[in-house]
Amino acid sequence: MTFNLPPGLALQKVDERIMTLNVGPQHPGSGHMRIIVQIDGDYIVACDPDPGYVHRGEEKMAEYRNYITNIPHLERPVIHDSCNVLYPYVLGAEELLGIEVPERAKYVRVIASELNRCIYIMYWLAIYGIFLGHSTMFMWPAGDRELLIDLMEKMTGARVTHAHFVPGGVRNDLPPNFEDVCLRQVNYFEKRIKEYAAVFYDNPILISRTRDTGILSRQDAIRYGTTGSVLRASGVDYDLRVKEPYDVYDELDVHTNVMKEGDSYARSRIPWLDMMESCNIIRQALQKMPKSGSVRVKLKPNPKTKGLESVYKRVESGRGSLGCYIVSDAKTEPYRVKLSVPSFRNLIALPNLLKGEKLGNMPSVYWSLNYWPVEADR
Amino acid sequence: MSVIAPNFKLSEFIKSLLDNVFWIIFIVVLIGIPAIMMILFVIEMPVIDGELLTPFLALTWIADPSRILPIVKAFMATDIFRVMAFPGFGFAALLAAGTIFIERKMLAKLQLRVGPFYCGKFEGILQLMGDGLKLISKEIIIPAKADKPIFWAAPVLFVAAAAAFVAFIPVAPGWVVADVDMGLLGVFAVIGFFPIITILSAWSANSKFPFIGGIRALFQMVSFEIPLILSLLGVVMLTGSLNLSEIAASQSSFPWIVFLPVGAIVFFITMLAELERIPFDLPEAESEIVAGWLTELSGMMYGLVQLGTYLKLYAFAALFVVVFLGGWNGPMVVPPFPAEILEKGIELGPVTANIPGLPLFTQDMLNGTLWFVLKTVGVIFFILLPRGVFPRIRVDMLLSLGWTKLIGLAFVNIFIALGLLYAGVLGPGGLQ
Amino acid sequence: MSTETENPSADAKPEIKTPPAKPAANKPEPTPVELPAFEKSISDKIVEKFGDKVEVAFVKEDRVRINVDKENVHDVAEFIRDGLNYDHVESVSGVDYPQDNEIEVVYHIGSYTDSSLARQILVLATRAPRETNPIPGNDATRLPTLRDVFYSVEFHEREVFEMFGVFFEGHPDNRRLLLPEDWADLPPLRKDFAIKGR
Repeated sequence: MTFNLPPGLALQKVDERIMTLNVGPQHPGSGHMRIIVQIDGDYIVACDPDPGYVHRGEEKMAEYRNYITNIPHLERPVIHDSCNVLYPYVLGAEELLGIEVPERAKYVRVIASELNRCIYIMYWLAIYGIFLGHSTMFMWPAGDRELLIDLMEKMTGARVTHAHFVPGGVRNDLPPNFEDVCLRQVNYFEKRIKEYAAVFYDNPILISRTRDTGILSRQDAIRYGTTGSVLRASGVDYDLRVKEPYDVYDELDVHTNVMKEGDSYARSRIPWLDMMESCNIIRQALQKMPKSGSVRVKLKPNPKTKGLESVYKRVESGRGSLGCYIVSDAKTEPYRVKLSVPSFRNLIALPNLLKGEKLGNMPSVYWSLNYWPVEADR
Repeated sequence: MSVIAPNFKLSEFIKSLLDNVFWIIFIVVLIGIPAIMMILFVIEMPVIDGELLTPFLALTWIADPSRILPIVKAFMATDIFRVMAFPGFGFAALLAAGTIFIERKMLAKLQLRVGPFYCGKFEGILQLMGDGLKLISKEIIIPAKADKPIFWAAPVLFVAAAAAFVAFIPVAPGWVVADVDMGLLGVFAVIGFFPIITILSAWSANSKFPFIGGIRALFQMVSFEIPLILSLLGVVMLTGSLNLSEIAASQSSFPWIVFLPVGAIVFFITMLAELERIPFDLPEAESEIVAGWLTELSGMMYGLVQLGTYLKLYAFAALFVVVFLGGWNGPMVVPPFPAEILEKGIELGPVTANIPGLPLFTQDMLNGTLWFVLKTVGVIFFILLPRGVFPRIRVDMLLSLGWTKLIGLAFVNIFIALGLLYAGVLGPGGLQ
Repeated sequence: MSTETENPSADAKPEIKTPPAKPAANKPEPTPVELPAFEKSISDKIVEKFGDKVEVAFVKEDRVRINVDKENVHDVAEFIRDGLNYDHVESVSGVDYPQDNEIEVVYHIGSYTDSSLARQILVLATRAPRETNPIPGNDATRLPTLRDVFYSVEFHEREVFEMFGVFFEGHPDNRRLLLPEDWADLPPLRKDFAIKGR
């Protein structure tokens, strides 16, 4: 029996016991990506992630725009974490253009990036909740996130896509009275997220469901080059805010949350602990921030770099270390911008973690990787 | 410039009205009146004022209002009324609709939301109607390679099975659709239909996610049916009857949950699993298998399944009430029907209306229904509550829970019942 | 690249001429640059092992860049992993140089296990020949894969393959990743793939 197959496609010989499931891209449990899962009964025997459904060619676009106009579109991969995803690009552009940032701007950046980290993690946590069938845990973070979004709106004027960081500082100074409002909201926010323990993190069903599933050992976590909460949940003490402090993180006291288990539960708990740490950092930054001063160095309209030069900067984003590799060639546009995004780096762990797991564990393992499909595709 | 009706002519408008009136009269005369006659012939007519109420006399209520209530009463005694309206489908559907509204509002309050808000003037009370209209108006899409007859039949069968379940539930003394001696056995038989319907629907859809969902539903329902049946056996032993009305009547002094709390707990948990409610909503686990066995259902087919699900929810809660919480039994709180209305009639100023046929319902029946509804709503509340608190559990945890822990507990419950019986606490010579 | 001696003030703006020298390591001074010692020791180890097979492009604070030919990249990567304790690749970037007729592939290698290397990124760059009319997978644009050395490059190399047409020999899974399966145009991140309207 012969088939006339379109070019590029081939028939695959599959065992009769194996059923192939296309989880996504129109599946409620996949996000904007597809995971091709092969199951034998209830057990996953093979898994092939297929990202790219929201590939927008950010890197190509960045080669056509100058250093300033790149800012609004480069934050698009993760709009919830837009300050952090822009941060390495801005740091790199500053190094290439040779700009020194005022002290107050650095603190403003730290506050904005920590607020953004919390906003992102809340969104992530909401989806983790609904992936596990816990609808209250979907609504609570989605609602409490508004507290911080309001703060960001006061600070930057935009609720989600801020485009607040520019080479040479931040776009605007803080509004008057921001420090008090911020302190109050952050304190309330911290009190509120501590309540999540009762309904979610200490929930016996949640614990029995996510404990000992999708275990990523320390060796594997390092070998796969995972980053962020996935790495720290596997017992590797690595946080760029401590290890390679950028801007003013070396003046702040940052504590790294590490767990040894490496299972889905640990991976989901680390971001929650990170949020509390972020609240601490915000309070410290508010205290140490210079009360006045410039927040932005004036730039020439079309800044040019010096010559063929490359720079690789990285920051700790809500998902892990986010690197930006910029090659410049004495033009107003960068020659090449490469975002090395944590989601893409964590994705490699997915096929290895899902192999041998039950189908029911797929959502919890998949989303505990702190994966954001849009960011991975760029 | 746009005008709402650009070619409006008053004469044509009046003509269209008259046309409509003509066709309505025409259809009523040709079809409506004969149909009413046929129905009245089928319904057994009562004897009123010494003469058999023929259809022609029955129609005289139009001229003589005092005949309305006797006819209504006679109608209420028929099986059709019982099946369609009061202890049967209509009553259950009304409670189910209330359940859906309460569920949405309660869950919303739990989750810092407002829930349905705009449809209907008060707190979105008409939201369910809006949803129903939307579902009816939606296109029904059948998968290309589906087994069409079975796929069509499955939602209807689901509702039918749920309605059959409802038929066994005694709401008030004497008010039950099917008062059979083997009532509880009938309930078990009807519950046994649900996995079959589920797997039929899932299989006939010829799609992967419904298939997995159907298999999961099969696992879940079969593994939880055994503890479900076993947990009710304790009560059967103590009452010595499978008739649900008798079981309810036997709890006039105390409900069985006092003596058999273990059985009640086991039954409650298995009930959650049979109903596919969170934390046991694996057959519809959204993030894993889209919507489980409901994935390919669309439009009103989905609506029917939802209706069946909520009917089933009501029926299970009612079964819990009947078996463990004493059914309709409760202190008499409904006041007796005022006697002077019976004797003198209702005085409305100068006019005194003497209405024959009152009271429509007896005091017992009203009181029983009130207590039954109160208890049922309470049980439904506890069935809904876990949805806001728990995540979904996994299928292997579910099966181990069903096959090991719950069956063990159900046996413990049976031994408690036997012990009570042999010790003489209950049964002959005991409290009851 | 490392030995830039042109005067920055030709381009730079007047107000940034006198910053406190914080990222001082790469400020081009006319005097010989004081290379950071630790980073220098890393590059020295590599040069000591491979001699003139490697070219140290720059030694900056926390960043060392090594340029290697494609024949030696695998050996150098193995030495970096076994001799220098680097354990994962953070990013694999392709850079297209049509004027040199070459495509550069840059590995950014970091370390989690060695705490002294936590700040360090070792940049390993190699170049593959470039063809004007690429047939991805079937032309001379080939490089040896580093996946058997660093497992973490698997998806990154797949991305470079589809975006630049660089075929990695020995990679177990050289399929498309982000682009659609039926993509039949140039590899999109090459410079001659033009965006419409630009």
